[in-house]
Parts: sequence; structure tokens; C-alpha cells
Amino acid sequence: MIVNSTAEEIFDPSVKGAALKAAAAGNFDVLPMFDRAMETSSRERIRAIQLEKLIAQVAYTYENVAWYRDKMNEMGVRPEDIKTLEDIRKLPFTDKNALRETFPYGLFAQPLDKIVEMHSSSGTTGKPIVVGYTKHDMAVWSDCIARLASMAGVVPGDRVQMAFGYGMFTGGFGLHYGCMKLGCTMIPAGSGNTERHIQMIEDYGTTVIIATPTYALHICEVGEKMGYDWKKSTLRVGLFGGEPCPPALKAEIESRMHIVCTDNYGLTEVMGPGVSGECLAERDMQHIAEDHFLWEVVDPVTGEPVPEGEMGELVLTPLDKEGIPVLRYRTHDLTRVVTEKCSCGRTHARMQKVRARCDDMLIIRGTNVFPSQVEDVLAGIEGVTPHYLIVVDNETGLDRMTVNVELKPEAFSDSFEVMDDFRQMVAEKLKGTLLVGVKVKLVEPGGIERSTGKTKHVKDLRK
Amino acid sequence: MSVSQISVFIESEPGHLVRVLDSFVEAGVNVRGYSASDTGDYGIVRFIVDNPDAALAVLREQNAACAKSEVLVLRLEDTPGELARVMGIIADCHINVTYSYSLISTYIVLSVNDVAAAERMLESEPVELLGQDDLAHLVA
Repeated sequence: MIVNSTAEEIFDPSVKGAALKAAAAGNFDVLPMFDRAMETSSRERIRAIQLEKLIAQVAYTYENVAWYRDKMNEMGVRPEDIKTLEDIRKLPFTDKNALRETFPYGLFAQPLDKIVEMHSSSGTTGKPIVVGYTKHDMAVWSDCIARLASMAGVVPGDRVQMAFGYGMFTGGFGLHYGCMKLGCTMIPAGSGNTERHIQMIEDYGTTVIIATPTYALHICEVGEKMGYDWKKSTLRVGLFGGEPCPPALKAEIESRMHIVCTDNYGLTEVMGPGVSGECLAERDMQHIAEDHFLWEVVDPVTGEPVPEGEMGELVLTPLDKEGIPVLRYRTHDLTRVVTEKCSCGRTHARMQKVRARCDDMLIIRGTNVFPSQVEDVLAGIEGVTPHYLIVVDNETGLDRMTVNVELKPEAFSDSFEVMDDFRQMVAEKLKGTLLVGVKVKLVEPGGIERSTGKTKHVKDLRK
Repeated sequence: MSVSQISVFIESEPGHLVRVLDSFVEAGVNVRGYSASDTGDYGIVRFIVDNPDAALAVLREQNAACAKSEVLVLRLEDTPGELARVMGIIADCHINVTYSYSLISTYIVLSVNDVAAAERMLESEPVELLGQDDLAHLVA
């Protein structure tokens, strides 16, 4: 416990809301940090660690994975050509197809008797991929998770209830081992049976819940219907994952459940959750565990690096992975990365939360357009719902983009003039952000199809 | 003596107007007249009904984009020159008609900027204004 000089009260991480309060007051020194020495290292030290690990990792990969050895030989690059961090650009990229083509064990660098755990990704877009972890890999992974849990204010002794399913998905066991490493008590409830989750929170005095944000909201609503008072609940922190967490959803859960919620970034191909995690200083950014991952941000079309801080595709190279040592993995996720020191005290680079995938990118008359940009613009306009559908065609020879926007009932006017001004206003705002002219079509409330799971936002009719 | 008009935002797609009309039937709402105009993509359909509150309630239930506004309903004689006569009066009163449409044969609807002022001006003129109650018992 540390005296909080500004508020004249004792900071106790186990007190509901204390972490957010400390963060809001800028008292980051009192908040927990799992590996303070590493997480606050100088940029020079981080880069030195990265270089040392990169050189070793490339040599290890070349030696143990035929697929990479062939690729590198083809490109005429040898492990000893890697002398600086920038030399990583000499190496081949890896994408999901590499893992599919070599399924199941083609990219494994260790015999199976050294693999202590396997996980796979669901493969919603194709064949599943499988990954294997050595004992060392599991230790690194747990470390990364312990860091991000700590960023949210989780401390040893917290009672952590798992509402993810376990199984092959990396989220369940990944978070489980990591929180255990931090010194928490795990309550492995698993997914489903919401009433039981609430009963367990009450019975066991659960302080942390791990869930997808939509399931957390469901738990919240079911609890409210049961008459459970979230304000008086022991629950203090929500660690979210498994799906994107829009800021509005997070804010709603935070205020209704009276907890602090963070989410993290990761993908099975390079490890699983824990590549980066959200601290309480700047909620849209996530600290990358840079001593374990080397990041690059590249132009999704050319693969060339973009200037620091600019938007591009995230490329990740795990620096000390034994099971599957992936080099330059193309995540297809769009983000930007900044390296200034964060006010939370951490020096590890921060990536903006991923809201768009390269696969979603549309090229309209030569301009790159992302559906997430449309989403952002619409979120800032009163009178429209967040639902939209982009239709692109080139019937007239030129690309034409129409954005179907759903009118809110209260924005309706009996006057065509007013409605048309409204439509023009939406079109102008979209053009201002997308830098390409669009036609806006207003549709009735509820007129845009709601789909469960991965919502289709784009209909590309171009021939 | 103004009358409530119900306007609904409707996409110009087959089936959208019918959906609204079906819900009126279900709610026992009787349409006495309507006007549908569109911009190519969407339209505003305006209804004069016997029970505007019931119509509005059933539309809100479906989360439709709709609004209630006050308009004037006048009854015209079914004789040549009658429409010109009435519109002449409106013009002489310096009332600007935003749009107008006819109900059952010789009943016409006028949308104006200031319904109350227009009403006051027309009361002393040789035109017959109708109220909501009259619409419930109209015969064509």
C-alpha cells in the first residue's frame, strides 16, 4: 500500500475503482507492473535485446525449419546477413497460408516430444492451423499475459474467473496460465451457464472475469435481471478478448458492472493473446511485449515500411519462440505504432487497437478505403445508427461507392429538403475522411441486415 | 380545425409501402388519403387516417422513421373551377403551400408553414375546412 498524496487516501489495488482513480489522477507509480525492470527499460536496451535475440532466432529457424531454409536460400539470404534490426527486411514474409500448407507439423522447429501443448485456430476462413509450444514458449507466453493482466490492475491474490471456453482456442489456457503466473487464484468456470457464473462470483468473491466483451455484457444483463448489485460485487476487473471490443461497449460494461476493462492483442500464429496489452493511460493503445516480439508496420500492398507512427499492416516476428519460430508474420491487421514513453511509465512501443483488416481494404478510384473509417465517421453523426453497408460498382466505367446508412427514427423529417440536407451532410463527412466522393443512401431504421458473427459491411459488385 | 398527417420514411423498394399498410390494417387504422413522393432512393409517404394516434403507435412499434404534423383539409365542391377558386383564396391570403394532395375525390390536403395562422385566415373565407372528427365519417 502506498500513500496517494493528492487524494490523501491509501491506494489499495483490491478496492473497486482504485486503479482507474489512480490512473485518472496520473498516479501510475502506485499501479502494479509485472516486470518493472523490463517494461521500463530504455529504448536502447530494448533494441539491443531485440537485435541479440533476432540474430539467434534467425539462425535457429534456418537450422531447424526446412521451409524457411528453402525460402532463404531461394532469396539468397543467410542467417549471418542479419546484423542490424533493419536487416529483418531481407527475410521472407510469412502468411497464414504457410501454416496451412505445412499443416500440421511442417513449421515445427522441435520434435514433438519437446512440445508440451498444442493449440489451433478455428479456421473460419479456411483450413485450421495448428501451433505447438515448448516449455520455454509457455513461460514466455505466461509472462506476456501476466504483464497485461497487471496493466489492468490485477495483482497476486486476485480471484480470476474464466468465462472463455478452454479447448484448442489460445484464449482460455493462455490467460489461465498467465494469471496463475501472476499469482492469482484461477476459477476455471469455462463458457456458458451465465446464472452459475454470477453465483460463483458471489460465492467465491471473484475479483476478475475473463470473457469476450459481448459475453461480459450478457453476464451483466443477466445479473441485473436477477437483482445482483454489481456495484457491491467483489468483481473489479474484466480482461477481454476473443473479439474486437468497441470503446462504446467497453464504456458501457465499465459503468454498468463497475469494473475496469481492458483488452489485448495477439494471434495464434505468433503466440496467442498477449502480444500487446492495454494500460490505463491511453486506452486506445496497447503496449507490445517488445523483448519477445519485433514489430514492423508496412504498406499492405508493397510490403515496404511506412514512416513511424503511420497506419499500415502490422508484421510480427517472435524473437524467442522455439516451437514454431515464425518470421515476419503478416497479420493483415492495420494499426500504427508509436515509441514515445507512455505516461504509465512503460517504454515498450504502443500499437493502436486494431479496428481494420487489410483484407477489408477497398481501392476506390486509386484511393485506399477501409470500412472502419466509415464506421468511425458514422459514430460521430447523430441521427444515424452504427449499421451500414458499402456497395461498390463500376457500371459507368468508374468506381462508384454508395454507403447505405440507417436513419434513426428521431432524425426523420417530413421535409425532403431537410432529409436531403441530412444526406448531403453525411456524404460530406464521409468524403472528408475517406478522401473519395461517396453517394449516401438513407435506409429505414432496421433496414440494414444484422448478422451474427462476422458482419458483412461491403458488397463489391465491380466487374 | 387542423388534421394530423402521418409521414413515413420508406425506401423505394418493393414491399416497403405494403408493410406499413398491412400494419395499419392490423391496427384497424383506416387510410382516408395519401401521397407518396420519392427521390429515387427513398420516399416520404404521407397519410391522412381516421385515427392518427393509433397509426403513429403502430409505426413506432416497428421502429419506423415517422412523424406527425398538422395540415389543413378542405372540402371542395365537385364543380369546374372549384380548385382554382380555392387556390385563389389561399394565394390571396399569402399562404404558401409546401405541397398538396387530394383525398377522396374533392377533399384536398395542404401543407403550410403556419397551420394556425392559415386556419385563422381561412375561417372567414368561403372554403370548408374539415376536422379530424369529420374524417372518421366521410363519404366520398
